[in-house]
Amino acid sequence: MYQSKWRIFTNHTILVLGSLFMILPVWIAFASSTHTREYIFQNGLQFLPGGEFFTNYGAILFDAEATKGRVTALEMLFNSMVLGLGFAIGKVIISMMAAYAIVYFRFKLAVPLFWIIFSTLLLPLEVRIVPSYEVVANLGLLNTYTGLILPLIASATGTFFFRQFYRSVPDELLEAARLDGAGPIRFFIDILVPLSVTMIAAIFIIMFVVGWNQYLWPLLMTTDDQLYTIVIGIKQVYNSLYEGGQIPQFPKAFALTIMASVPPVLVVVIFQRMFVKGLVETEK
Amino acid sequence: MFRKTLMAAAVFAIGNTAQAATEITWWHAMDGALGDVVNQITEDFNASQDEYKLVSINKGGYEDTMTAGIAAFRAKNQPNIIQIFDAGAATIINAKGAVKPVQDLLEANNVNFDINDYIPGVRYFYADSDGKMIGMPFNSSTPLLYYNKEALDKAGVDVPKTWQEFEAAAPKLKEAGYTALAQSHSPWIFFENFMSRHNLQMATANNGYDSTDVEILYNNDALKDHWQHVKDWKDAGYYGYYGRAWGANQDAFVQQQVAMWIGSSGSFGGLRKSAQFDFGASTLPYWEGTGDAPKSTFIGGAALFAFSGHDAAQDAGVAEFFKFLTKPETQYYWHKETGYVPITNAAYELAKEDGYYKESPDAEVGITQLSEEGGEWTKGYRLGFYVQIREVIYREVDKIMNGEETVDAAFATIEEESNGLLKRFNDTYSN
Amino acid sequence: MKRVQFEHSAVPYLFIAPQILIISIFFLWPAAQALYQSFLLEDAFGMSSQFVWFRNFEDVLTSSSWTRSAIFTVVFSVLVSVLSIAISLFLAVRADEVIRGAKSYKTLLMWGYAIAPPVAGLLGIMMFNPLMGDLYKAFNSFGFEFNHIENANDAAFIVILIAVWKQVSVNFIFFLSGLQGIPKSVQEAATLDCKSPERRFWTITFPLLAPTTFFLLVINLTYAFFETFGIIDVSTKGAPGGSTATLVYKVYVDGFLGADMGGSAAQSVLLMIMVSVLTVFQFRFIERKVHY
Repeated sequence: MYQSKWRIFTNHTILVLGSLFMILPVWIAFASSTHTREYIFQNGLQFLPGGEFFTNYGAILFDAEATKGRVTALEMLFNSMVLGLGFAIGKVIISMMAAYAIVYFRFKLAVPLFWIIFSTLLLPLEVRIVPSYEVVANLGLLNTYTGLILPLIASATGTFFFRQFYRSVPDELLEAARLDGAGPIRFFIDILVPLSVTMIAAIFIIMFVVGWNQYLWPLLMTTDDQLYTIVIGIKQVYNSLYEGGQIPQFPKAFALTIMASVPPVLVVVIFQRMFVKGLVETEK
Repeated sequence: MFRKTLMAAAVFAIGNTAQAATEITWWHAMDGALGDVVNQITEDFNASQDEYKLVSINKGGYEDTMTAGIAAFRAKNQPNIIQIFDAGAATIINAKGAVKPVQDLLEANNVNFDINDYIPGVRYFYADSDGKMIGMPFNSSTPLLYYNKEALDKAGVDVPKTWQEFEAAAPKLKEAGYTALAQSHSPWIFFENFMSRHNLQMATANNGYDSTDVEILYNNDALKDHWQHVKDWKDAGYYGYYGRAWGANQDAFVQQQVAMWIGSSGSFGGLRKSAQFDFGASTLPYWEGTGDAPKSTFIGGAALFAFSGHDAAQDAGVAEFFKFLTKPETQYYWHKETGYVPITNAAYELAKEDGYYKESPDAEVGITQLSEEGGEWTKGYRLGFYVQIREVIYREVDKIMNGEETVDAAFATIEEESNGLLKRFNDTYSN
Repeated sequence: MKRVQFEHSAVPYLFIAPQILIISIFFLWPAAQALYQSFLLEDAFGMSSQFVWFRNFEDVLTSSSWTRSAIFTVVFSVLVSVLSIAISLFLAVRADEVIRGAKSYKTLLMWGYAIAPPVAGLLGIMMFNPLMGDLYKAFNSFGFEFNHIENANDAAFIVILIAVWKQVSVNFIFFLSGLQGIPKSVQEAATLDCKSPERRFWTITFPLLAPTTFFLLVINLTYAFFETFGIIDVSTKGAPGGSTATLVYKVYVDGFLGADMGGSAAQSVLLMIMVSVLTVFQFRFIERKVHY
C-alpha cells in the first residue's frame, strides 16, 4: 500500500511521541530512584540515573527499616507472587470446571446457577466493601493468604472465557469420545484440558497480572504488615512520604514502584502474544 | 551429671508450666517509630510479671484500627484493649455496653484510681458527663507553635503570644523573606482548640458530653473572624496553605519557607532530627480580648478502651497493664521517646526531677499549656460521626483558601452538614 | 447452544459447586447484607439497630457531597473514556500503517495494562509534586497557575491524565487488533478510491471499527467508575475538598473510615444499581451471546 514519505515520517514521529508518553514517567521514576534523597529533595526529579542503585534497592529489599515498617520489599514481593499465582491458578481451575458444567451438561438448576455466576459482574468488590470485610473477619480469614485469594477468584470473567471457548469446540470430539466409552470426567481430563492449553496460558497471564495488581481488597483485609503485597507497600510509603519531620523518601518510593511494576510488565511483554490473545478473547 | 541436668530440666519445666499466662491482646494504631516504643513497653510489662502476657498488634492507622475493632466486635472476636482516637471517641463510648469504663475496671481490680492524678488537660476528654473516665488517655498531644529562631531574629520580632502580636510581626517576616505561618491540621488546631483556647462553647449539651442530641456551634463570629483573618493573611503572603496533608505543611517549615508552624507537641522529636536551624516551641496563640482567652487547650491523639465481653481473669490483666502504663517511670519513658505528654502529675514531676526539661525545655511547653487554667469549655468534646465532620471542615477550608467560597458561606455549610451528621448519629444511637 | 451434552446427575454439580460456594459466601451474602443494612440505622458495633425504610437513601441522595461526587464520577468517566479512546485509536492507526519497527512500537505501547493503578497514581502525583515535579514546574513556567492542592480543576486534570495514561494501552491493543482484522483487499480498494489517508480513515476504517469503539466505550466507562480507586487513593485522595472523589472512593471513605453503616450501605446499593445498568447495557447491545 502506498504511503507518502510525509505520512511515514509523521507516523513514526507520532508513535515515538506516544511511546515516550508511556515510558517517560517510569523512566524518570527509575532514574530518581538511584539518587540519594537529599539530592532529589534539592534538585527535583531526575532524567539521568545516579549512583545509588545498589544502596537504595538493597536497602528496600533487605532492610525492613527502609520501608517504614517491619517488612522488607523482598517479603512483599513474595506476597505479591503468592497472590498473583494463587489468584491465577485458582481462577483457572474454578472457571474451567464451572464452564465445563454449564456447557457440556443438561441438568436442573443449570439456568439459575448460570445467572448466579453472571451476577458477580454486577457486584464488583467496590459495592460490597464493608460487608465483605465483615464476612472475612467473621470467618477468621483476615490477614491470611486464603482470605486474600479466595474471595477474588469467583467472578464470572474466567467462566465466560472458558464457556466461549468450549462452545467453539466441535461436537464431533465429544461424540467420538462417547463412542469410545469415555465418561464426562475422562473427556474433561484427557481431551478438553489438553485442547485448552493455549487458552489456559493466555488467561493465566492476564489473571496473574490482575492478581498481582490487586489493591482495594488487600488494603482492606491485611493489617498485619507481614502480609503486605508490594502494591500495598506503595500505599504505605505514600503515607509516610508525608509524615513530615524528615526528608521525604522519594527515591525509595520510586524504587518500590519499579519493583512493583517490573514483574507484571515483564510477564506481559515476554508473553505478549498470549497476553493479547487472552485479552481480546475475554472481551469478545 | 545426667541427674543434675534432669533435675534442672524438671525444675525449669515446672517453673514454666505451673501457670500458663493469661493472654490479653491490644490493638493499636502506632506504626513506625512509635510502634517500636509500644513494643518495648509491651516487652517490659511481660517481663515485669508472669500472670499475664500482653500481645500488641498494630492494625494500621486510627481509622483502620477502629474499623478492625468494630468488625471484630461484631464477630464476637474483639481484643481486650483497643486504641481509639479523639474523633472516634463518640462512636465507641455511645455504643452501650461495648466497653467497660476504665475507672470501673480499675476499681473492680483494686487498683487505686483518682482522676486528679491525671493532668488537668487530659482528665475529662474521655470521661462521661459525671466525670467518670471511660477511656484512658494514652498518646496525648496538644497544638504548639514552633518557630525558626534565626528567621525571627532576622526580622527582629519576638515569638507572638497573641494573634495581634502575630499581625504586627508578619509583615516584618515577609520582608525578611519568609511566609510567616503555616499549620498542619485545620480542624484540630483552628477549630477545636481555637474554641478551647478562648473558652468558647463548641457544641450544645455541654460540648456533647450530656447527650447525643446536640448541635455544633462553630458558626460563631469569633471563629469566623479568625478564618477571615487567615484568608486575608494568605492573600497578603503571611500565611501558607500547603493542602491538608500534615507533612506538607511541616515540610514548608523544615525547608525554611515558613518561619512559624503550628503542629503538635509530639512533633519536636522529628523536628530535632530534620530541622537544620535553631527552633523553639511556644504556646498556641490566641486573640487578646476574645472569649476568655487564654485558657488551656485540649488533647489530640487517642485513648485506650477495654472491650467488654471478656472474662474476669482477662479484665484483671487489662487492669494490671493499665496500672503498669500509668506508672511514672513508664509514662516518662513514653514521653521521652515519643514526645507525647505524660498524662499523670507524678510522671511530670519525675521528668522535672530528672532534669529532662533542662536539657529540652521545649518538651515542657505542651504540658504547661495543658495545665493552664481551665474554663468551662476546655475539657474536650464528644461528637458523633466526627470523622465525617472533619471531612466537611477540610473541604470547606479548601474552598475558603482558594477563594471559591466566602467565610460566611463556608461556615453556614459546615454548620448545616455537621448538624445533619449529628442528627443521624443521634437517631442511630439513642434507642 | 451445544447440541451434544452429557446427561449425568452428579458431575455437573460437583464441577460447578466450588464457584457457586465461593460466590455465595463472598459475593451474595455480603451483597445481601449491604442491601439489608441500607434500610437500617445501626450503630457501628451492631448493638442496636432500627429499620428506617428509605431514610439512608434520602440522606445520601440529598447530601451535597454525594451529588458532587456523582457529577464528578460521570464527568471523569466520560472524559477518561473519550480521551483514552481517541489517543489510542490515533496511535493504533499509525501503528497499523508502519512497516519498520511495527513490533517494537507495539511492545512499547501495550504494557500499560500491567501497571497497578496505585503505582500509576504515585508516578503521576510525583510528576506534579510542588517541590520537585517536572510537570508541575513545566506547567507553572508556561504561565499557567497550576495548583492542584487548591484548585479542584487542576486536581481533576491530574487524576484524568493518570487514568488516561493507564488505559491507553488496553484500548490500543483492541484497536490494533481490530485494524489488523480488516482484510487487505478492503484497504487496497480504499487506497485506490481515496488518496487522502484522513478521508480513508473517516469513511472506511472508522465505521468498520465502530463495534470495537462502542465496546471499548463501555469497558472504559466501567474502568473509570470502578478501577480508578487505586489511582485516587495514592494521588489526590479526593482533595481538594472531596472534588476528586469518585462514588466508589466515597463509599470507602464513608463506610470504612467513618463507621456509618447504613449510609455506606445505601451508597453501595446505589452503586450496584449503576453497575447493573452498565452491565445490562453492555450485554444487551454489544455482546449478544450471553443467554443461557
